Amino acid sequence: MYRYDAVDRLLVEERAAQFRGQTERFLSGELSEDAFKPLRLQNGLYVQRHAPMLRIAIPYGMLSSTQLRTLGRIAQVYDRGYGHFTTRQNIQYNWVEIARVPDILDELAAVEMHGIQTSGNCIRNTTTDHLAGVAADEIVDPRPYCELMRQWSTFNPEFAYLPRKFKVAFNGAGDDRAATGVHDLAFDLKLDAAGEVVMDVMAGGGQGRTPRIAPVIKRDLPWREMLTYTEAVLRAYNRWGRRDNLYKARIKILVESIGAERFAADVEDEWRHLKGGVARIADEEFARIAANFVDPAYLPADEADADLSALRAANPRFDAWLRRNVTSHKRAGYAAVTLSLKRTGPAPGDATGEEMAAAADLADRFSFGELRVSHHQNLVLADVAKKDLHDLWQASEATGFAEPNIGLVTDIIACPGGDFCALANARAIPIATAIQERFSAQKQEEVGELAIKISGCINSCGHHHVGHIGVLGVDKHGEEWYQLLVGGRSDNEVNLGTILGRSIKFEEVPGAVERLVDAYLGARQDGERFIDTVGRIGIAPFKAAAYPEKVEAA
Amino acid sequence: MSALIRLADRKVRIEDDSFVLLEEAGADVWPEGDIIVPLADWLARADALKTRTGRTGVWLAPAADTLTLAEKLDGLALIAIQFPKFTDGRGYSHAALLRKRLGWSGEIRAVGEVLRDQVFYMARVGFTAFAVPQGFVAEHLVSGLGDFSVAYQDDAAGAFAPALHNRAAAVREAKIVRTLKVLKRVAAQHPDAAFATSLSAEDMVVTDFIARHKLPIHVVTLDTGRLHDETLGMIGEVKAKYGIDIEVMRPNAEAVEAHVAAHGAYAFYESLELRKECCGIRKVEPLNRALAGRSAWLTGQRRDQAVTRTALPEMERDEARGIAKFNPLADWSWDDVLAYAARFEVPLNPLHARGYPSIGCEPCTRAIRPGEDPRAGRWWWEQADKKECGLHTGPASPSLESAA
Repeated sequence: MYRYDAVDRLLVEERAAQFRGQTERFLSGELSEDAFKPLRLQNGLYVQRHAPMLRIAIPYGMLSSTQLRTLGRIAQVYDRGYGHFTTRQNIQYNWVEIARVPDILDELAAVEMHGIQTSGNCIRNTTTDHLAGVAADEIVDPRPYCELMRQWSTFNPEFAYLPRKFKVAFNGAGDDRAATGVHDLAFDLKLDAAGEVVMDVMAGGGQGRTPRIAPVIKRDLPWREMLTYTEAVLRAYNRWGRRDNLYKARIKILVESIGAERFAADVEDEWRHLKGGVARIADEEFARIAANFVDPAYLPADEADADLSALRAANPRFDAWLRRNVTSHKRAGYAAVTLSLKRTGPAPGDATGEEMAAAADLADRFSFGELRVSHHQNLVLADVAKKDLHDLWQASEATGFAEPNIGLVTDIIACPGGDFCALANARAIPIATAIQERFSAQKQEEVGELAIKISGCINSCGHHHVGHIGVLGVDKHGEEWYQLLVGGRSDNEVNLGTILGRSIKFEEVPGAVERLVDAYLGARQDGERFIDTVGRIGIAPFKAAAYPEKVEAA
Repeated sequence: MSALIRLADRKVRIEDDSFVLLEEAGADVWPEGDIIVPLADWLARADALKTRTGRTGVWLAPAADTLTLAEKLDGLALIAIQFPKFTDGRGYSHAALLRKRLGWSGEIRAVGEVLRDQVFYMARVGFTAFAVPQGFVAEHLVSGLGDFSVAYQDDAAGAFAPALHNRAAAVREAKIVRTLKVLKRVAAQHPDAAFATSLSAEDMVVTDFIARHKLPIHVVTLDTGRLHDETLGMIGEVKAKYGIDIEVMRPNAEAVEAHVAAHGAYAFYESLELRKECCGIRKVEPLNRALAGRSAWLTGQRRDQAVTRTALPEMERDEARGIAKFNPLADWSWDDVLAYAARFEVPLNPLHARGYPSIGCEPCTRAIRPGEDPRAGRWWWEQADKKECGLHTGPASPSLESAA
């Protein structure tokens, strides 16, 4: 992974020192609440329902074991013992004290981490495929491009006060695991006929109250021009994006209002002046950054591989774990392993300080001391030798990460919701728990791949628009109600879910979800996944299943 | 008159503002003196404005189209960009376009809600003047310009080497800033700290920092009795260049005599034990005396000097002496040292130019050949992993002290 040099280190140290000064000025009354707000937001500090929330950047989801141990320590020393991994591959703490945040930032700086631009109306942490660099279907390793974007967007003076937040994602694989279609700006990396990296650029996607899928605005952008082109996009957005209405300020509204073609033409016009200029990526700098993402010292395939069939046959749970939590790898003899943070009970994506330390130990023992955070809110050990899989499984059973549910009904994405978030209309975590409790291990195996995503409000942090089944919390006369959506997906065939009908009460949700699943089981043909069946039979049967009383009445 | 902060040649001046900003467009007559008119007036009536006696500037609202000023910049004294709210970031793109697209090299002034925590970004996109809002203190705003010492991106003011485009220069600058930070913190937290100089190039760099920034750090050296004349000559060079009197520690004469009587004057070539005994008498014991009663010391050690120093932290606990130890050049390369020395005209031991990158006692140091390890000339008859004199005991353990 990328290791800091003196420049990166000095910047996070100076940022921590700057924020210490700003916090002191705020606490002494010199800085008003209004003046402090954008400053703390650009360091990841929100004021939440119960306490301030601090969000820490995990650049494109990559973590070292040392960093994860520090995150665990911060959970124990400064918070209530746990942290929450987010759908943007970051981590947030829900119970920090404002006065102690500068100390946290100092501890983070010492392990090459920070909260820079994790909130506020600026360019946020770049996200990508949690299998970047190891995926069997990878065409281009996106990580060096993500790091270039991280550096270019960090303290970029022109784009620190945008109309609204701005999220950038990269995909370099055959299967899009980064949900690029629902980002403000996204790059799809591929190779041209000459073997050079080129990029298709999408802009204007997003979730929230006006969900939109990003149109492609540029094809085959040469990689060296990635930043000049980004500058052109950002300048167009900064100048012409709406600032009069918070809800119409994202770039998707600008792109939609003038049309993708016109937006693309405007960007092209701006880019003419920028391409080949100072922000063109120099080969030397690319090589320096890319040198951080070389393969670890893999064993030869015959030494790494192992025949696990006897162990599988002897232990069905190990077998289920291999099928669900272990992913193919570009390297023979290796696999990527997901440590599930979706246990029934704790909030999806939550981990205690002890669990973070335990995961760090597993990374040291089995995966070259590195981990990834997936946008599905799980941890991934990306480089595990197959001969170690049984040992790793046993160790993860002992630490509670071995739930064999990756991609299944209980692998739910949920935002912190009304339990923590000041914006939420309704709780998300208890809904997740109630749904998880409905599905036995056997039932969810029978159901197969199914992505349930829950947001506590229309801001859509729980990605409900792109869940195969989406659940959205809404406020009705001060009560918690929920809308159900079906048919969303965030992969290559990205699609926004359709709202099934009127909202339902908290206690009706688990039953309704179960009826949707049963409707699928009743209709599915051989080998069909839930989302395939929805595609074939349409939404109507699911509407009927969600509201049975309506059918009876009719 | 209100106060104006002006940046020129990387210097800051605070002055009275001679300009009056006219908010409304379409005035029948303009006042005397220096004025800043709305964009619409400049676009429509530039020729009339140019015949006035006072100077004329133009101001842009956030929603203005900056590019309408193309070909219309002649005769403008300044361009002001209005920030009705500091969270409205359009003004940054106005400035970027004026600098990069329209080639405007004159004053760009921020007016409106111009606050301490935004002036740094403003300066970086090309603002060169800041109208101090009513009720604000200019010096306080100015302090915001110093929050960062390096940047990734291209910089309109040219104040930084952009790290994305000139990494080597940016890294060198960052190392200098970080080294100074360490030294300042040591000086503040350990008023009794001592810097042990071997008078090598690295240590001359540290000495230069101490002198240049007038840091209250005591400087001490160890005259082992067997140093090169060139090395000893550096003590006078430091006095002449910096006015610093280096305290010179010498070995206990009786211990030296007893060692020579028992083992001869060149016993260090015979065995590692005898070499270490000699180092103990001539270097370690005098250093212990120099550090007695102090809470911290500093060295000029670097990680890539030797295989024994690859894990060298910036700060560590000297367990043997029970005090803090700081290595402010830990991440510097030899090229960084030479580049700093050249830039700040630091006097160097002439032996460096003659093939001695690492210099100790005369009988135990030789020149190296091109391509040899930098420490190859120290105790060259010994294994590389044994080549420490005993001043620096390892393994070095990072200290738990805050990095702040």
